[in-house]
Amino acid sequence: MKKLLCAGLAMTMALSLTACGGGNGGSNGGDSASAEGDVTNLTIWQPSDKESIENWWVEKLDEWNAEHPEIQVTRTAIDRSDSYAYDNKVATAVTSNDLPDILFVDGPQVSYYAANGITVPITKYFEDTSDFVDSTIAECTYDGELYAISATESSVALYYNKDYLTECGYDVSKLESYTVDNPITWSELAELAEQCTTDSYVGTHIIMDHGEGLPYALEPMYVSNGKDYISEDGATADGYVNSAEAVETTAYLADLIAKGYANVDPITDEFLNGACATEIQGSWDVTVLEDATFDWGVTYYPVSDNTGTPVSPCGDWAAAVTNNCSNVDAAGEFMQWLMSTENVASYSAAISKPAARSSAYEDEAMAAYQEYPLSVFKEQLENNAAPRPRTPSYATFSTAYAEAMTNIFSQAASNGAVEDSYIQEQLDGVVESFEEDYNTYYAE
Amino acid sequence: MSKRVQLSPRKKGERAAAYVFSLPAALLLVAFMVVPVIYTVYYSVFQYQVMRPNDISFVGLANYVKLLADSDFWLALKNTVYFTIIVVPTQCVLALALAMLVAKKFRGVSVFRTMYFSPQLTSMVVISVLWTVLYNSNPNTGLINSLLVGLGMDPINFLSNPKTAMNAIIFMSAWQGAGYQMMIFLAGLQGIPGEQYEAADVDGASPWQRFLYVTLPNLKGTIIYVITITMIQAMKLFTQPYVMTQGGPENATKTMVYYIYTEGFQKGNFGYACSAAAVFFVIVVAMSLIMQKITADK
Repeated sequence: MKKLLCAGLAMTMALSLTACGGGNGGSNGGDSASAEGDVTNLTIWQPSDKESIENWWVEKLDEWNAEHPEIQVTRTAIDRSDSYAYDNKVATAVTSNDLPDILFVDGPQVSYYAANGITVPITKYFEDTSDFVDSTIAECTYDGELYAISATESSVALYYNKDYLTECGYDVSKLESYTVDNPITWSELAELAEQCTTDSYVGTHIIMDHGEGLPYALEPMYVSNGKDYISEDGATADGYVNSAEAVETTAYLADLIAKGYANVDPITDEFLNGACATEIQGSWDVTVLEDATFDWGVTYYPVSDNTGTPVSPCGDWAAAVTNNCSNVDAAGEFMQWLMSTENVASYSAAISKPAARSSAYEDEAMAAYQEYPLSVFKEQLENNAAPRPRTPSYATFSTAYAEAMTNIFSQAASNGAVEDSYIQEQLDGVVESFEEDYNTYYAE
Repeated sequence: MSKRVQLSPRKKGERAAAYVFSLPAALLLVAFMVVPVIYTVYYSVFQYQVMRPNDISFVGLANYVKLLADSDFWLALKNTVYFTIIVVPTQCVLALALAMLVAKKFRGVSVFRTMYFSPQLTSMVVISVLWTVLYNSNPNTGLINSLLVGLGMDPINFLSNPKTAMNAIIFMSAWQGAGYQMMIFLAGLQGIPGEQYEAADVDGASPWQRFLYVTLPNLKGTIIYVITITMIQAMKLFTQPYVMTQGGPENATKTMVYYIYTEGFQKGNFGYACSAAAVFFVIVVAMSLIMQKITADK
């Protein structure tokens, strides 16, 4: 009896372990492309977004699935939680061999996934990319191959509450007079913020979120002041994010918080809720602000007084095919359809971001980009957009930078000032993390 | 030479039934505890980038050497210990006080019991989001700071000041957790024979003496149980710093589990994170053994 029980236990254990370990098997809920008969099932992962884009996906996938019974596509929307929750979910899926077929990755992460073999080249499905804007193609290319493709670009500008600024005695026409080549300067923004900070309002809003939103929205400040985060070849951060210029840029931002002109822990939709006079925010807020109870406007991204060089953010989430996809051709065919001019136009309109295809702007859905306020973002993209660094160690950089900035901003808020030496120390820490990761895994 | 004991068919049947009934629990324990622990120790001696599961290399004890020299690791350990030392007594005393309040029989007592227990029924993520808003540094949006300003005080950057962030999390955690321990204490209090209190009254004991010489000794077992589970829960602190502070500011709320998580999944150093997890596992097991020893002595 005892022997029988022992044998039974051993069998059950072996079976349970097999069930747990079989990442590629059919038991994992079909996260990889699976073919049943002649049907290929593809899965997509993408960060969840506002209702309009969620509805767009439902409608479009219904359309595709009805027309293509042989390739059935489903999508899972995953929350980002204003931080790195989505990226961490992907990392977990890599360890459990549970990746979807098509994965949306943020622009600067394309190199990271490509360098590690998580995504596969899709160049042959997009041989003619001339209709896509250069910054998108640059961001989605690694080692000469296209690893992802994006329907949209992104841009960030300065929103302002016209009603409130007028109440503060600020001349709003001044903001309306700025051009893409001559935007508001840092010092002018600081003066505005000082004038409009009261018990009820802070002058501005600079913290997009506590994850990638920090390096994304603030990078143009650094570039405008003379130094990017990382070298152009993506191999070093030393002398870049910890340079004297970068310390000066960070000190300017920290000073806005130290003086109480910006909140260190802003609430969600701070501008919409009438708690800040201006905000540095993406084009998607144009849709959010349809609910605003005040008159508002948008002007170009602020520029460094030192150089006067206008720079603005760009780059967006792009679709990539993972190494877990067993039918790359089916995924490629789906992505060709997804990135058609018509789909790109309606997708961009639904998600309130500029389209990544030039031809999409001729579509009626994109007509709003020819007019103010969305034209501001389009103009920036055409004139001074700077893509984030292309380096396989971007994930490490982003985390370390976000952590350092949070520390610096906290110190500013708590003490009412931050020493340059503290900023230097924090940015040196970012360099240390970056270099360690790059030299360990990617340096030749 | 040992003599093999012959079991009766009935005894044999009972033993077989015992094996069968314990099998699901044993399987779950092996699958979700033993196997992960073995894997953690195994991977801790490899350089393993999370995005490169097929490209791992043996590095011996290098991860452990690096870990012991990592100031963030020691800081995370210090923060975890600080949280545990403060939150365990705070939460237990609060829970006992609440239990004694609601143990009394009066009209509407069940309403109070439900109210004190209700934070337990809500997800910690929801509670953390809620308290992030309550703690917001701006008096226009943060309720607590609005009250402070209303009282003529300066607003406090609860979550963005390294000096206050952990204490803010401790307060909120004790508030959230006390309801559950209250229910356990309540069960313990209701198990104390009424005669003992009557005898104490006859002897002329004051309320304090009743508590000290009747209530506490009778609750000894419950107290040890509550302290043990609270301590283990406290050591695993993750959700609150993850949602409310992301381990900041200045790593003031970075706990061991949060540290392991960021190293493993944000920075992708899976092997290194495993070494931290292995060390932390040893620490938690050691603390549990010490608690067991104390319990056995009692």
